[in-house]
Amino acid sequence: MIRHLCVLALLVSVGGPAVAGAQAVQNATLRRAQQAYDNLEYRQVVSLAQAALRERLTGPERARAYELLGFTYGALDSILKAVDAFKQVVLIDPERQLDPNRVSPKAYSAFDVALRQVLLVRQLRVDSTTFVGGRGAVPIRFTVTQPARVVTRAIGGGGSFVIDSGAWNGQVNLSWPARLASGDPIPAGTYTVVVEARLGQNTFSAAQPIRVSHGSVDTLQSLTSLPGYQYLPETEVPPQSWRPLGLAFLYTGGALVGTLGLESSSLGSSSKRELAVVGGAALVTGFVMTLRKPAPRPAAANILYNRLLRDQIARRNQDIAKENVARRQQVQLTLVPLPKPGGAGPR
Amino acid sequence: MSRAAAGVALLVLTSPAVLAQRVAVTVGPQFVLASYREVAAGLRYQGTGFGGAVSARYRKFSVEADVVRLTLDPTTGSAATSGFTATEVSAWVAYDLATYASVEAGFVRRTVDPEFDAQSVGAVRIGARSFYEIGPGATVLFRANYLAAPKFSGGGHAAFSIDLGLGLDVRLAGRLHGTAGYTFQRINRKTNPGGTGEIDAPIQATVARVGLAVGF
Repeated sequence: MIRHLCVLALLVSVGGPAVAGAQAVQNATLRRAQQAYDNLEYRQVVSLAQAALRERLTGPERARAYELLGFTYGALDSILKAVDAFKQVVLIDPERQLDPNRVSPKAYSAFDVALRQVLLVRQLRVDSTTFVGGRGAVPIRFTVTQPARVVTRAIGGGGSFVIDSGAWNGQVNLSWPARLASGDPIPAGTYTVVVEARLGQNTFSAAQPIRVSHGSVDTLQSLTSLPGYQYLPETEVPPQSWRPLGLAFLYTGGALVGTLGLESSSLGSSSKRELAVVGGAALVTGFVMTLRKPAPRPAAANILYNRLLRDQIARRNQDIAKENVARRQQVQLTLVPLPKPGGAGPR
Repeated sequence: MSRAAAGVALLVLTSPAVLAQRVAVTVGPQFVLASYREVAAGLRYQGTGFGGAVSARYRKFSVEADVVRLTLDPTTGSAATSGFTATEVSAWVAYDLATYASVEAGFVRRTVDPEFDAQSVGAVRIGARSFYEIGPGATVLFRANYLAAPKFSGGGHAAFSIDLGLGLDVRLAGRLHGTAGYTFQRINRKTNPGGTGEIDAPIQATVARVGLAVGF
């Protein structure tokens, strides 16, 4: 049973270097070391990897050689030596990360200890973002492997700006408003976000290039109507009625009664021909108007409602105009991280 | 009112400067029917004539004037032996107190020819009128005026004189209006011929005007 577990542990521990071994290795000694590791010939791995390290290697090859040593020492239970080897790995490649599901727990713990024994700034990330100057911030994340004094700067053609300065350890999340001391947004251009950690004599820095561009803020359009509210007709046609004829009767009757009442008794009854002509015309007009569609008349409630609606829209448009004045003075910042040219390293 | 003054008033009311001030002006000719009685039931006349009317409105103020020239002849059974010609000028200035009522003041002057065949009259009008739009472009009007300080060519005075009117204005098409007006006038004239004591010499006239008008 114990033998089975050991075989299983060996198989698991082989997973990490096997994957890493897929990378192109030019150095022959290093290739033989990798082959020896694949064949579980750990003594030979140690000697071949150390021999390779004495040869001329590229950075990734050197990191690979130390990684092979780290895994091999882990498999041989030489934890301290494994930690030392992994320290060299992360110093060469600070972003190196092991998958805990694919490497042996011994190797992973040795790698973890190595990380905590070396001052590193890892996994520096600046997210792509767009915001109006003064109303947003750029998220910046990184990990410091030891408690250290960390200064974060943005350095570029527009100048050098301190983003943050403080004592940090572990995962750090910063928000950078990208503004000058005057409150104006930083000038457009290419910058490099540099995170520098200092612990005693040890320093480490990581960098991430970014591009900052300026754009105008979209202005708002004036309103011509409010959603859900519509203007109502300001006139309404009253229902048809006998009112026109009634009024014609009333006015004609008034003239007739007045004439009859005011006639002089000594002069006798006056001629009604004139009243008949005009009164008849009035009555006919009243009758025709009764049959006709009534004239539209102002709808007071609708007029008031429309006035309120117009006032409301005018008030909103005044607010929009003020907002647009402010928006025209604002700058939309767009920040995009650029590919790293060289990476980072200890100084 | 002289013809020259009437012409000037018409020109002023229809001038472009006045019209530009959102003044609604109508002017047009009228055909007139009239009957006239004076002193006693037997002295009665009827006739026809022509005239013209002009009116203007600016906000709550309105002005109206009409002129008619009538030829009146004795009616059948009349004691009169000959007719006469009358020219009547009426004018009003009114101010709206409400959307359907206004107060008005003006004058009326009626002259006759030959001069002593009937009474020439001049008086000041003071009264009120009511008007109502009974339909689109159709307005009916009723007027009551007290005729103050009447003067007569044959002398005398009148303590009570009144003028009633009925009017109609219908917009026929565009700027063209049809107009009709009725006036009943009763003047309680009293005279004192030769100082023998006052006698009644009432005057009663009715006039109907039908015509067209153009609105500006």
